[in-house]
Formats: sequence, structure tokens, C-alpha cells
Amino acid sequence: MDTVKLYFRSMKMLLRSQMQYPLSFILQTISQIVMTGGELMAVLLLIDRFDALNHWSAGDLLFIYGMMDITFYLTECFGRGVTGNFAALIQSGGLDTLMLRPRGIFTQTLCRAIDPRRIGCISVGVAAVIMGANLASIEWTFLKWAAFFESILLGMLLILGLFLIEVIFSIYSVKSIEVVNALTYGGRSACQYPIDVYPRVLRLLFMVVAPFALTLHVPAAYILGKPLYGWPDFTAFLCPLAGAVLFFIMYLCFQKALRFYRSTGS
Amino acid sequence: MSYISVRDLSKSFTVRKKREKGHLLREKTQIQALQNISFDIEQGELVGYIGPNGAGKSTTVKILSGILTPDSGSAAVGGMIPWKERKKHVKRIGVVFGQRSQLWWDVPIIDSYSLLRDIYRIPESDYQKRLSELTDALDLGHLLRTPLRLLSLGQRMRAELCGSLLHSPELLFLDEPTIGLDAVSKLALRDFLKEENEKKGTTILLTTHDMEDIAALCQRVMVLGHGKKLFDGALPQLLSRYDTLRTVHVRYDGGINLPALPDTCLIEQDGDGHKITYAPEKLPTTQLLSLLQSAGNIRELTAQPQNIDHLIAAMYKEMDL
Repeated sequence: MDTVKLYFRSMKMLLRSQMQYPLSFILQTISQIVMTGGELMAVLLLIDRFDALNHWSAGDLLFIYGMMDITFYLTECFGRGVTGNFAALIQSGGLDTLMLRPRGIFTQTLCRAIDPRRIGCISVGVAAVIMGANLASIEWTFLKWAAFFESILLGMLLILGLFLIEVIFSIYSVKSIEVVNALTYGGRSACQYPIDVYPRVLRLLFMVVAPFALTLHVPAAYILGKPLYGWPDFTAFLCPLAGAVLFFIMYLCFQKALRFYRSTGS
Repeated sequence: MSYISVRDLSKSFTVRKKREKGHLLREKTQIQALQNISFDIEQGELVGYIGPNGAGKSTTVKILSGILTPDSGSAAVGGMIPWKERKKHVKRIGVVFGQRSQLWWDVPIIDSYSLLRDIYRIPESDYQKRLSELTDALDLGHLLRTPLRLLSLGQRMRAELCGSLLHSPELLFLDEPTIGLDAVSKLALRDFLKEENEKKGTTILLTTHDMEDIAALCQRVMVLGHGKKLFDGALPQLLSRYDTLRTVHVRYDGGINLPALPDTCLIEQDGDGHKITYAPEKLPTTQLLSLLQSAGNIRELTAQPQNIDHLIAAMYKEMDL
């Protein structure tokens, strides 16, 4: 409980420090809305042209796209300490400072940064979800809402876990490894579309290695009433747990990696 | 057992060189940052830790503060092994790196302090008491609402010190705390540290290149070079070995030339006077003075001790650092 309190106190302080530069904040938020809004426009045009992708209707596609956006940008907003440039933290000796405090390193890493500008991207995602839900005329039930929020929450854990891979590499090599971006940013871009439109290799990648299909597509398909591969309903609640599993594994690796930390000169 | 007890501590780093042409793999070299260091520090001591750049000072501090794990050897601080019980250990220590900040850049420093209060779980009453104590001693009262980025270097160092002492640590590591400070700030900082050490009984390990810091503060110095401990004792004891020369400036009425002096003296022209460096062991001071006086009316004569930095430089040179 104490840790949660510390996190929110840190966020409050970081927010205030960001608001020291209000103009920069507003401009950057607007630029992010334009950027993700442009992406959404591209998707809308595509959908308008083809109407449907396999058995997915335009509304379905929009809905999935929006959910991915919300999940990803919420993670980048509140987990900025992990998704941000961790290698820079190591190079500047900031990790030393964290280790000098009587709190967990992961907690402190999370408490290190927030990115409120993502509110722009998140609102674009919300707009896409609302449009998609209307187009696909989803009949919301309590269970569907539960699946919706579970998917977002566990999807966030999955994304944090994937970003942790990069963090772990940078602890070993004091440098950032761009390859991991293929899983994080690449995963986001690819999995904005349902998994079953992809060839087998990519399906395997996003089922097993970076299981976006499990945290996002299975519950989204359930909410849309078109169960993925005809899987039973309970899978919509079970599969997203893969995100938590991946996060937990990476969290343990992170703790292990810290023991090899070698610090930089002063 | 002593408060800090270090036995045969060693740490090496692997450094990869740039890949040479014709070689497939990059060459790796081992750098011994610390080699079998041992020492003891009692509670309430104020110890200076000196040595040239790259001698392993920071590595020692990082091991003792739980950031790094040594390759071999043991270290205990107040009965705890720093890198094994990091969280418990760091609650009792404070660390100030002269060139790194642990406060938040864009917020008023009071906000940084209250977040540190939450991080260290300091009870509110203790926090208020300690904060007012420290802001008085460090003269920070009027700066509390100023963001860190707007503070001058001296103010920032005071703010950092306050931040790392809020949880009343029993052990304080200072890494070049006076670097880049002006004379007034330096003196004030030294006074503060002395008081913190004497009144609170805080054990302090001070790493510095500023020999005046050491001379003003530390009863004991440890010298480190190439990862080995070269000296451990009182500063005068260390210096006496190298403090063999004296310098006098002499100026005569009118432009009288210097008398002939023994070859062991080093004579330099210095404005309209002369600077004579001599070894009292070979040429006793009385003898030098009578020689000088026999040449004419001395208008001005000043004697100076050797500059402490020169002594340390001589020492590093002799020890081949």
C-alpha cells in the first residue's frame, strides 16, 4: 500500500514539474494527437476502401485498433520510467542514485517518470473504440466490460514486460538495444489488426513470444461476439493472464540482472 | 568489531577495447580497481580518502554503499553486508556525489525533500524537526521554494547535503563535496560537516582532491593508488616524509644582489626580489639567514610552508601513481 502511495506521490510531483513548461506540454500533446490521429485516418481510409478484412468488419477493426492504442499509450504514460530511455539512466549514473535508497529498484524506476502528453494518443484510441463499438453494434454486458478492462490491464503488464527486456539488456551492456523495439513498437503496429490475418510465423510470434494475441485479440473477439478460432468464452478471461506471466518472468530477470550491474565512473 | 570493517576487498572490471583490424573479437582487458584493500573505521571518525583519478576511491564507496558487489573479500558496516542487505543498509547511510544530483531538477527543493521523506519512511515529526535543523545550519530557508535548476552550484551542493541527511544517517559518504565551490561556500560547508561529525557523531568518509578539505577536517587519511592502500594514518605523519623543503622570499633595500648560497638552494627571480627554496636539513635556517643578512639591508622576508598540493604530487610521483 505504501508503495502505491509513493507511486502516486511521485506522479503528482512529476506532473507538477512537467507543468513548469506549459507551452511545451500543450504543443507536444497536440503534435501527438495529430500523429496518432493521422494513423487512425489511414486505418479509416483503408477500412472505407475494403469494408472488411476476412470476416472482420470495419467496426471490428476499428475497435481492436482503438483497444491496442489505449493499452499501449496508457503504458507509455504511466510506465514511462520503464518504457523511456533506461540506458540513459544508467549512463548518467542515475541508477546508482536509485540503489542508494531503501526501496525496490523496480518501484523507483516506475516512479521515475510519467508522460502526460500521451493523453492525446489515448484519447484518439478512445475515439476509435467508441466509433468501432457503435459500428459493430456491440451489446455491452457486465462480463464484456470486465473482459475489456482485464485486457487493457494485462496488456499493459505485457508491454511493460517487453520493455523490461530492453532494460535488462541495457543493464548488461550499458547501451540500449534497438532490436527489442521490433517486439514492442512492432508488436503494437502489427497487433492493431486481428492476429488471424497474418501468416503462420507472425501468428506464432504474437501468440507465444510477445502474446498480444492472447491479451488483446482473444478478449476483443469475445466482446465483438466473434470468438477467435471459435474458442470458448472463458478463454477471453484466461488468455490475457499470459501478459502477467510474461511480466512476472521479466521482473525476475530484471532483479537478477541488477546483481550484475557494474555502474559507471564518476 | 569496528563499525566499518573491510578485509581483502578486490574488484575488477572487464573493459572491452575497440576491435583492431584483422581481429575477429574485441580484446578484453581486466582492470583491477581494488586489490586486497583492508581497513577499519570506528563510529564517529572523519576519514579522508585520497588518491589520483582512477585509484579506486569511488569503487570503494560504491561497494560500501551497496551499489556494487566485490569479487572477493569481505566488508561489513555496522554488522551488515552492504550488497546483501541493500535496502536495510542504505536506510542508515547518506551519499553525496559532488557531480550527481539526487534531487529532482524541475521542482522546488522542498517537494524533493517531502518525496524523500516518503521514500525513507521518515515519521512526520522527525522530518519537520530535522528539516528545520538542516535548513538553519545550511542556510537554505529562503531557497526551499526554488526549483533546483535555478540554484547556484554552492546552493545546490547545500541542498543536496540537506537531502542526504534528512533521514539522519549514521554514516555519510561524500564524494568531492567542495568541487567547484567558491571560498565562502567551501568554508561554510566544512564548518557544517565538522559540526555534523562532532555533535551527531556521524561517521564520515570524505573523498576529495582538495587537500585543504582534508587538512581542515580529517584526523585520519587513507591514500589509495592503483587499487592498493598506500598509507593509513594522520595527515602530518604522511606529509612529514615529503615536507622537506622550505621557501623564503627576500627583498633587499636598493638592488643588492644575493650573496653566494650553497648549491643545494634553488634560487628564482621573483619580481624585484628572490625566491629561495632550501632544505633545512642540509642548510639550517640560521645559517641561511646570516648569509642573507650579511649581504645588505633586508627590507622584506617572508617564509612559506610547502603547498600541500605539491606535497601530495611529490608523494604520488614517488609512489609511481
